[in-house]
Amino acid sequence: MTTLVETETLDLAARFPGSAAADTRPGYSDWIVNKDKLVEVATTLRDEFGYDLLSHVTGVDYFPDKMEVVYEAFKTTGGPGVLFKVQVPRVDPIEVPSVTPIWPGAEFQEREIWDLYGIKFTNHPDLRRILMWEGFEGHPLRKDWHEPFYEEDFKPLKSRWPDGKYVSSEDKNPYKDNLQFPQNFDPEKVKIDGEAPLYDTLQKYTTVDGGIKTDHIIVNMGPQHPSTHGVFRAAVVLDGETIVSLKPVMGYLHRNHEKIGERNTFLQNMPYTDRLDYFNSMSNNWGYSLAVEKLMNIKVAERAEYLRVIMAELSRIQNHLILIGMLLNDLGAYFTPALYAFEERELILDIFEATSGTRMMCNYHRFGGVSRDLPEGVLEKIRGLVEDRLPRKADEFDRLLTENEIFISRMKGVKVMDAEDAVKYSITGPVLRAAGVPYDVRRAQPYGIYDRFDFDVALRHNGDLYDNYLIRLDEIRQSIRILQQAVKQMPEGPINSQKPQYQVRVPAGEAYGRIEAPKGELGYYVISTGKPNPWRYHVRAPSFINITALEKMCVGKKIADFVVILGVLDIVLGELDR
Amino acid sequence: MDLALWIEFIIKGFILIFAVLTGFAYLTLYERRALARIQTRIGPNRAGPQGFFQPVADAVKLIFKEELTPAKADKVLFVLAPIMTVVPAMILAAVIPLGTQFTLPFLNRPVTLYVSDINVGVLYLTAIASIAVYGIVLAGWSSNNKYAMLGGLRSSAQMISYELSLGLCFVIAILLGNSMSLLDIVEAQKSVWFVVIQPVGALIFMVTTLAEVNRAPFDMPEAEQELAAGYHSEYSGMKFALFFMAEYEKMIVISMIAATLFFGGFREFWFLQGTVFSVDHFWWLGPIYLLLKVVVLLFLMIWVRATWPRIRYDRLMAFGWKVLLPLSLALVFITALGILLANQFGAIYIWTIPVLSILAGLIAVLLVNMSLRRKVAHA
Amino acid sequence: MTPDLIAFFVLALIAIAAALGMLLGRNVVYSALFLVLNFGTVAVFYILLDAPFIALTQVSVYAGAIMVLFLFVIMLLGTETLPVSKALPWQRPLAFVLALILAGEAGYLLFFRKVTSGTIPQPVQTFGSPQAVGQALFNQYLLPFEVTSVLLLIAMVGAIVLTIKEKGGQGK
Repeated sequence: MTTLVETETLDLAARFPGSAAADTRPGYSDWIVNKDKLVEVATTLRDEFGYDLLSHVTGVDYFPDKMEVVYEAFKTTGGPGVLFKVQVPRVDPIEVPSVTPIWPGAEFQEREIWDLYGIKFTNHPDLRRILMWEGFEGHPLRKDWHEPFYEEDFKPLKSRWPDGKYVSSEDKNPYKDNLQFPQNFDPEKVKIDGEAPLYDTLQKYTTVDGGIKTDHIIVNMGPQHPSTHGVFRAAVVLDGETIVSLKPVMGYLHRNHEKIGERNTFLQNMPYTDRLDYFNSMSNNWGYSLAVEKLMNIKVAERAEYLRVIMAELSRIQNHLILIGMLLNDLGAYFTPALYAFEERELILDIFEATSGTRMMCNYHRFGGVSRDLPEGVLEKIRGLVEDRLPRKADEFDRLLTENEIFISRMKGVKVMDAEDAVKYSITGPVLRAAGVPYDVRRAQPYGIYDRFDFDVALRHNGDLYDNYLIRLDEIRQSIRILQQAVKQMPEGPINSQKPQYQVRVPAGEAYGRIEAPKGELGYYVISTGKPNPWRYHVRAPSFINITALEKMCVGKKIADFVVILGVLDIVLGELDR
Repeated sequence: MDLALWIEFIIKGFILIFAVLTGFAYLTLYERRALARIQTRIGPNRAGPQGFFQPVADAVKLIFKEELTPAKADKVLFVLAPIMTVVPAMILAAVIPLGTQFTLPFLNRPVTLYVSDINVGVLYLTAIASIAVYGIVLAGWSSNNKYAMLGGLRSSAQMISYELSLGLCFVIAILLGNSMSLLDIVEAQKSVWFVVIQPVGALIFMVTTLAEVNRAPFDMPEAEQELAAGYHSEYSGMKFALFFMAEYEKMIVISMIAATLFFGGFREFWFLQGTVFSVDHFWWLGPIYLLLKVVVLLFLMIWVRATWPRIRYDRLMAFGWKVLLPLSLALVFITALGILLANQFGAIYIWTIPVLSILAGLIAVLLVNMSLRRKVAHA
Repeated sequence: MTPDLIAFFVLALIAIAAALGMLLGRNVVYSALFLVLNFGTVAVFYILLDAPFIALTQVSVYAGAIMVLFLFVIMLLGTETLPVSKALPWQRPLAFVLALILAGEAGYLLFFRKVTSGTIPQPVQTFGSPQAVGQALFNQYLLPFEVTSVLLLIAMVGAIVLTIKEKGGQGK
């Protein structure tokens, strides 16, 4: 963590005179880079300055004059990141060079930007729509794109507030919607084979082997499939049982979370974040409140900080428990480990319920603190869990699973990722640490009060499935350590530094709040214009970005391994599709 | 063949099929309850006392479910496949002796407790078991579904591979019993069960039968995490129930076979020999002893399913061909050698069989372990 | 008509029908299944002839192992239905000539060969029993038996060598 010095020496304007300039808008920071120099700047940042981990790429629509592509890269050694932007005029075709050749992890994110903003990335290997379907008209995150029954840009909608007497667009136009088609567009005539581009790309990657000709078959794993953990689909080309080529297909659960987020007020977004990774609403809340608190420049109440840590770590434990249980299920162990895991999870959810009122969609955080204090007796329950029951259960899992021969033979030696590739592909979270990169946001750039706790960043070195399993156990144990300290140290006091309020005033500017969610780096990039609603609300979803490397991980493996790899990647479709 | 014999055959056949069907129904309940216990749940307990009528409820549900036939399926084979799966499973039990014999009161007619004791009973088992694979293969093919197809292919490859080791285990029992008739094999185990003489052979038998009936951890053909439901993905309603039925009936029958070949069949436990609890004393004890053994063996199968993950397909094939087959060949050789020694130098030498075979088993385990470690080191 | 004879005729009809179905079917999977049916009926013939060992061997070897492999290959190749193929030009006349020869042979046997009147000698009781087959195989026919096994071994090794080479090439 000596990177502070280095960041001070990072002066892109001096390094690239004329093609990089400091971003001087109020509330904004870092650099604006000339579009033509982007690839050069990115390469320099990665190779010379050591920003090897591209955290997120996203677009912003500054309607009506320009579009912006925002990149943020971090060092895997820790410290703050570097934010750089490319601005392009908002005239189609909007083109920006792709950074996928430099950071392969940008592949899906750039596809998403193309899909939702219509920014073309030149030199991108496979620029197709990703969340919307092939043949969808328009780019929904643009500010001038309106959905059917569109009413207004911002909530609270004037027609529905404050009297409760409202008319909705559906009632106004009962037989038709106000959907607008582009000129010369006749929905009757359009026939799009949405699958063709997908299968074309698959074909492109199919290997041709000499000698005896073997037929490959395409199998669609999903969208309805027991092992994809939701409506996720992977089009797989198989040679016998071996995977030759694979393309993930997603978006079945897409609801344009980010557009919804731009219309909500800041506080209204909080319960929406619950629905991203629906196993870990507690940590989802935290990332968002971090970003907004950064914008508002407020401190969090001391007791609330502890409560946040406790809830987030409990959430991590139950997430990893489920992962291990369901992983064994993916391996074909008939639900027994899963049910053992669920038993502990129920106890943790009991605590969530007692504290926030709900078991899964907790909506617990508020800007400056949390919504409720612990009820009486709950702290005792937590203490009992973390001092006694959970450590015992972690050991039990260890004893039952770790040495199982079949388990080892299925898991050991099946490489998921090595460290170098994992960093390239922007993988974060346990999968990255299992590959041997000690990168944990709680240590790399501590947020909240994580700098007060004594814990180790769980680390494994082989990057195979077995290590991916072991690291979850390690993390459970580290979380228990943190929890034990947090429960001991927790002070009395108010749970929110602010007055409870419905509407918060957020000054103009940008902020990126990131936390170490159980699945990886969860970040929220929020832009405020000073209005009650965010101008841009972007979620850096770990599930989505970790899946970028799925093909790389699976090619050459058996179809049975694909299921397990998907299992250890720990995707949640609510977050993947947003 | 006189008429009375025909009637006896038919009645015995009916009773046997009825027994196997009832066994199937209650095996599902048994499995669900046992699994639930292992998984810290309760299991079905609503229909009737302790869920006793749950199988009935399941059957009613399955009968009234809509049966779907995929549009592009091969209609004839699609219907034929479940039948071809369930019939071998049912007739498999015909040669298994359930007990000795008793005299029918009033008619004064001796009735044997088995449908038929053909002198090549063991061969009958292998023949019928090998037919069973057709149903699965055809189901996979006729469904016109890639998952089903993969499942069908997997299962046929798997069953053929494991049939070899299974057949060699049969050979071990034949050698020890000095007969291909199952009745003779049971009678030969009066004093010592073959599992004592050939423990490794019994173990291999149980492993290969798991593969043969596609049970966990060898349930490749229907590996739901990979292939949705494998060969029966497209089946619903009663046709699906037939596949389900075949699997559970095969479990029962194969447990009966295992009990017959290695665990003394319907004979009493060795320490009860000569007491009033002997089969020779009361004929009706035979089926009860067999049932006890079958229940225990079935529990083993359920236990395995509840606790072990599935083996990956390529490892499974490698295990079958590179470990089980050579090992069972070695066991056949050892068994023959032991019998030869016993014939030449006295009965005590029969104990070279367990010693040598356990040694062979240990060597196999050691080699597998070493090759696994080596693989890991390579990766 | 004894029951055995009735059984024989029924089975013979089934066997012939199955054989015809196998030859005339255009769907290879059906052809394979007809062949299995044919094997099954032949096995029952063996049982009628008091040779259950041979019958069950027939089932487990032909129906249980070989035909499953056939089906397996058919399905793997994905050539279930035959296209209307062009027969080779000399195939039809050749088939015709061969059929004529066969019919002639059968006719010769039926009409000209003097069948010795009286009963056909019953096979020995142990004919086709495992013991008899074993004795014959390992005494009288030991050399052919061993030669066959060596041949099979060579075929197996050959198959393995072929596939291994292929895989090695693929790896590079």
